[in-house]
Amino acid sequence: MNAPAFQAKDFKSDLKPIWCPGCGDFGVLQGLYRALAAIGRPPHEIAFISGIGCSSRIPGYTTAYGFNSVHGRSLPIAQGVKLANPDLLVVVAGGDGDGFSIGGGHVAHAIRRNTDLTYLVMDNQVYGLTKGQLSPTAPRGLQTVTSPLGSLEEPINPLLYVLAYGAGFVAQATPADMPGMTALIEEAIRYPGFSFVNIQSPCVTFGEDDQQLKAHKAKMKTLASLGHDSANQLKAMDLARAYGTELYTGVFYRNPNPPPTYDALIRLRQAEQSKKAVPRNRILDAYLQK
Amino acid sequence: MVDDLILGMAGSGGDGVVSAGESLLSAASSEGYHALMTKSFGSQIRGGESSCRVRLSTNKVLNPGGALDVAVALNWDDFFRFGAELPLSVATVFIYEEKAGPPPATLKERGVMPREMRAVPIGELAKKSAGTDKAKTSVVLGLLSGWFGIPSTAIARGLKKKFGNKGEGLLEANERALATGIEYATAHPLAEQHTLALPTKSGPKLLCDGNDMCAAGALFSGVQFFGGYPITPSTEVMQTLSKEIWKYGGVVLQAEDEIAGVGAALGASFAGKKSMTATSGPGMSLKTEILGLASLAELPLVLLNVQRGGPSTGLPTKPEQGDLFQAVFSAHGDVLRPVLAPTDVSDTFKITVEAFNIAEVYQTPVIILSDQEIAQRKEAIDPIDTSKLEVLERRRPTEAELVDYSRFKLTADSISPISHPGMKGGNYLGAGIEHNEKGEPTASGTMHARMNEKRFNKLDPLKKRTDLFEVSGDPKASIALIAWGSTAGVCREAHALAVARGLKVKLLVPYLLYPIAEEIYQSFFASVRSGLVVELAHQGQLYRILRMFTDVPRGLKSLARSGANPFQPSEIVSRLAEMSPEVN
Repeated sequence: MNAPAFQAKDFKSDLKPIWCPGCGDFGVLQGLYRALAAIGRPPHEIAFISGIGCSSRIPGYTTAYGFNSVHGRSLPIAQGVKLANPDLLVVVAGGDGDGFSIGGGHVAHAIRRNTDLTYLVMDNQVYGLTKGQLSPTAPRGLQTVTSPLGSLEEPINPLLYVLAYGAGFVAQATPADMPGMTALIEEAIRYPGFSFVNIQSPCVTFGEDDQQLKAHKAKMKTLASLGHDSANQLKAMDLARAYGTELYTGVFYRNPNPPPTYDALIRLRQAEQSKKAVPRNRILDAYLQK
Repeated sequence: MVDDLILGMAGSGGDGVVSAGESLLSAASSEGYHALMTKSFGSQIRGGESSCRVRLSTNKVLNPGGALDVAVALNWDDFFRFGAELPLSVATVFIYEEKAGPPPATLKERGVMPREMRAVPIGELAKKSAGTDKAKTSVVLGLLSGWFGIPSTAIARGLKKKFGNKGEGLLEANERALATGIEYATAHPLAEQHTLALPTKSGPKLLCDGNDMCAAGALFSGVQFFGGYPITPSTEVMQTLSKEIWKYGGVVLQAEDEIAGVGAALGASFAGKKSMTATSGPGMSLKTEILGLASLAELPLVLLNVQRGGPSTGLPTKPEQGDLFQAVFSAHGDVLRPVLAPTDVSDTFKITVEAFNIAEVYQTPVIILSDQEIAQRKEAIDPIDTSKLEVLERRRPTEAELVDYSRFKLTADSISPISHPGMKGGNYLGAGIEHNEKGEPTASGTMHARMNEKRFNKLDPLKKRTDLFEVSGDPKASIALIAWGSTAGVCREAHALAVARGLKVKLLVPYLLYPIAEEIYQSFFASVRSGLVVELAHQGQLYRILRMFTDVPRGLKSLARSGANPFQPSEIVSRLAEMSPEVN
């Protein structure tokens, strides 16, 4: 067998992460390096897009092309990148606030277009970068600096959200299970179409005790151990309802017959229309009065 | 014989006055006339009143013109609903449907009495000749042909194009209605003849509007990605590109919102492709944050803003020049992004190509400020010579520059070679956060200052671009006339009229609105003692920006008016005359 083309370290940049010691995102980053090495695409063929937040810093810690954009807009930007050049491997990352609060409106549309990209959400139920405010996935009653008397809102369930819009690949992971998480990231990237991995990535500074890696280890249950069939969309939705109470890891849903991706359909359309192209100097002829 | 004829028609939804206007425009342009048409609708989505203005001329048409030479009312209520857009004068010939009854008091209240009022049984003639009063507008076209000398062969050709494949007998019925209109006109001549001269130089014309020319200019420039969201009055650009861009390997993404539209476009630019978005005021407000990202990440991007009345929803179907402050200033932080404005349908093409060139060469977002009038008026224009138009590309790194590549390298001209995903060795982190030369995030004040300087300095050459300014008239003239966008067309005509009256007036039309080319303005101002900056916006925004960046002569005043109240060349001439020492 040939030696693998790339190793995890080939994807590690010289930038030192700004994260707090013990942040879950360190684990996610390690898992990502390993998954990318397993995929084997060279760093310059990878575009890694993010928004704003602790986790959105992640593109800079890789050797890939990165775009650490503005808050909540990573998915539209990533779709522009992929549609402009479908040959690229496009990975999108961000936090629960970036993805399901300020950017929540974009998720449904990325899913229904089914552009071939992988969306990794590092879900920690809190706004870390701005120091501990309520996030859209925080449980009702949670006391934070912006909900000192307890939150009056139900959280968003990211898993149910993306399943309901028909995402073709939906998984959940935690860096408490590194091999499991790495395998899920790799599988998500390999899935031909929009894929989503909700990674429970603890915030050591502002997160709750029951959200830390130690608690994850005690609590996590693989979907495989429950005998879940990942081709069963309805069952996946049923299991996803336990978000916030149970910590299920693994593939909730994987479309066994992935439909054509948006980028593939665009290529077909371009190929079919290209014969109608006219030379640049004749573009205005379309408006000529005969 | 006259060499210029301005017609205005109004009717209710089913009357087809806009469609008649289009037939007239198409007929006239195929004969070699210069022609321009604007249309206006009530706020109903379908049906309701509608009106159009058509200006035909043997010379280049500069604007939709002032008072009507010919007015056509199919009913009185609809006509008066468009009061400001269909102004009358004592020279107007007014044709109206006899059945609508005598002119109501409203006409008298408007203060001018047309020189000739002609009641014509339009509906009855249509019924008699075509068997249906739906052919009313064909009768009107016949009247216009008979009374004003618009070649009937061309109108007939237009009818054939329109009705040729619309079912049995429809074409013939309309042809009969047209003939009836002509016969009626011949049998009832006007008190005073008013015939349009034949076109001097007949040649093929392009029939298009400003949005067409923006889309065509984008395709000419090699646009590969359009991301946008439907919004009046810019949507036609997206619609045209949705048909065309695929042929050239590009993509149109109708995004879920304005932000996603510009976001996707910026993503495509990051991926190395020429990219654009189009919108109008409210959409521009939403896109502002991503525009700031484009400036900081130094990514090329073209944004078309077809201005409409604002703020907020404002007057979505009417022109205004009130988005200049927004284009120039709407950003947090220190941002300089070029703003260009076309002045008519034809130069929208050239300005779009220029916008792409500037965006690519200087790695910056560029805003094109069009407006509803330019964008949606249909015009028969001379073919555009594209042979001398250059199409420029962003500067990509050489092999040598890719060794230890620095995306934001500080160079002599402040432009750094730009790589894109897929390019080996060019890997970098694009970001909205401040960066060093390598693209690594920084919070250093020194580096921030250096990068701000770079982002400003790189655009300095634009301020020397005299080709982006139109200056005409006696260079020593003491009166200045300055206008941009669609108002420039009115001012070109006003300038010619003023000079013909012996006024010492010179004209400046900037296509580059920002950055302000201080030296170009200062040298224009050298002889100026008085004058007007004419703008269709309450605040007179260019005037105020000029006062901010240049030494504006004390006598240079703002002539500013809210949108949807078009200027007439004659009123501008009167104002200039008041300023003229020769007249005082």
